[in-house]
Amino acid sequence: MSYLSHLQCSDCGRIYDAQVIQTFCPDCQSPLLARYDLVTARQELDRDAFTRRQTGMWRWHELLPVHNPVNMLTLGEGDAPLLHLPRLEQELGLTNLYVKEEGQNPTGSFKARGLSSAISKARELGITKVVIPTAGNAGGAMAAYAARGGLQAYIFMPKDTPQANIEESRIAGATVILINGLISEAAGMAGEKARVEGWFDVSTFKEPYRAEGKKIMGYEIAEAFGWELPDVLIYPTGGGTGLVGMWKAFDELETLGWLKNSKRPRLVAIQAEGCAPFVRAFEKGSPFCDFWLNAHTIAAGLRVPKSFADQLVLRDLVQSNGTALSVSDSDILKSQRHLASIEGIFAAPEGAATLAGLEKLVQDGWVKSDEKIILFNTGTGLKYLKEAISPQPSIVI
Amino acid sequence: MAYKILYIEDNPDNRLLVKRSLEARGFLFLGATNGVEGIDMVEAHQPDVILLDINLPDIDGYEVAKRLRDNRTPYSLYVPIIAVTANALKGDAEKALAAGCNIYMSKPINIRELWARVEACLPGS
Repeated sequence: MSYLSHLQCSDCGRIYDAQVIQTFCPDCQSPLLARYDLVTARQELDRDAFTRRQTGMWRWHELLPVHNPVNMLTLGEGDAPLLHLPRLEQELGLTNLYVKEEGQNPTGSFKARGLSSAISKARELGITKVVIPTAGNAGGAMAAYAARGGLQAYIFMPKDTPQANIEESRIAGATVILINGLISEAAGMAGEKARVEGWFDVSTFKEPYRAEGKKIMGYEIAEAFGWELPDVLIYPTGGGTGLVGMWKAFDELETLGWLKNSKRPRLVAIQAEGCAPFVRAFEKGSPFCDFWLNAHTIAAGLRVPKSFADQLVLRDLVQSNGTALSVSDSDILKSQRHLASIEGIFAAPEGAATLAGLEKLVQDGWVKSDEKIILFNTGTGLKYLKEAISPQPSIVI
Repeated sequence: MAYKILYIEDNPDNRLLVKRSLEARGFLFLGATNGVEGIDMVEAHQPDVILLDINLPDIDGYEVAKRLRDNRTPYSLYVPIIAVTANALKGDAEKALAAGCNIYMSKPINIRELWARVEACLPGS
C-alpha cells in the first residue's frame, strides 16, 4: 500500500487531489510534488525490512505513488550498483569515491526510474496515451514502460538524438517525431499536441511522478551508507529531476526518522559549457534561470536551455551549500575515456561530465580528501558510440 | 500610480492567468488579442512593459517587436518587451531577441518568475 496522500505545489503550497489526473499548479505554474502520510508511515514501516526485500525500485512501493500492485510496471529498474573507484581515488588524492552506475538500469539509463513511476501512475489513473519531449534516454524509457503497460507513446526528439534512442523507442512501438530543434522546441510541440489531442504530457516536472522514481536513488544511497548520507553528490544536470528527487528523499527520510543524523550532502550540478543555465543563475544568485541561447554540447541530456523546475533545483543547490559548474565537451570526452580505461566504466557523456567536474572541484579544494563523494553515471556509453572516440585502434588479424 | 503592463496574446486562458497574477501584484493590466491591436494599444496607452506572445493570429510577435522598434520614437525604442512563447519552433528565443525583444520567457509562464522579470524592467529596480 502506498502512503501517498496528496499533491502540493512546490511554490505556492496549494494542495491538490492525488486521486485524479494532475499536471502542474494552474495558479502559479510550478511543479507539483507528491506528499505522503509520513507520520503514519513512520509508525508502521520498518526501515530494515526494506533491505530484506527483492531488489529493485518498487521494494520502496509504500513511498512511491502507485496503490495497486497490478499497475507497478517494472523492467527491473533501481538498485543500480554503487561502485567504489579505488584507482581514480588514488589518482585524485581522495579516499571515498564512488559512482552510482545508473547505466545498468533497463533501457540503459536512470530515466527508467522516473518513467517506471510516471507511466505506472498514468496507467493507474486511466491514461492511455502519453507524450514526451526528450533529448534521448527518456524517450526510450517511456516507450518501454508504455509498451509494458499497454499505453500508446508519442515521442518528440531532436533529429540529432543518438540513433540508439530513436531505434529503441520505435521498436517498442512508440510513434517518434524527429524535430529540427532542441528539447525546448520538442517540449513546445509535445505540449501543443497534448493540448490538441488529449495526450498526457510526461515532460519533466509537468506531471508529479517522474521525480518519485528518481528520488529512490536517494533512498538507495542512504541505505548503502548505513543510513548516514555522504558528503558530496555530483550530478549531471539537464532538467534536474534527480537532484530535486534526491533532496526530497532526504527530507522524507528525515521525517521518517530513518537517518542516523541530520547531515546532508552538498549537491553539485554539472553542466556543459555550451548549455549551462543553472551555472549562470547560481553564480548570479538568481532564483531562476535565463533561457540559454544557442545551446550545444555532445552530452544530449545536458542540452536543456531552461528547466521547468529551475527554481526548485536552484533552491536545493543553495540549501545544500552546494554549487554548479560547467565543463567543456573535450573534458567530457577525456573523462569518458579515462573512466573506462581506469575503472572499466563506459559512461554516457553526461555521466563522464561528473568526473570532469570532480577534477575541477579537487583542484579548487572544494572537496576534501576524506569526504564521501558520489558521481552519478546516468547512462551507458553504449548508446553514444558516435560521440565516443577510442584512442586505441583495433587490431585486425 | 500603478505601472501599466500590456499583454499581447490571443489565448484567453493565458491572458486571464497573467491578468490575475499581475493585478494581484498591483499592476494595471491591459490586454490585446492580436498583433495589430497590440501595436495600437501601445501607441494609445504607452505601457511600461509589454508582454508579447510570438504566435499571434495576424502578424507574429517578431513583426510586432520589429514594427515597435522601427517607430524610432524614444518610447518605442526603449519600452521593455518580454517575449513569451510556447517555444515550438527552432530558434524562437534567438529570433525574438533579434527582433527587438529584451527578454525571452517560455510557456508555461511561472508567475513568480513573471513578477520578477516585469519588476526588473521597471524604474528603480
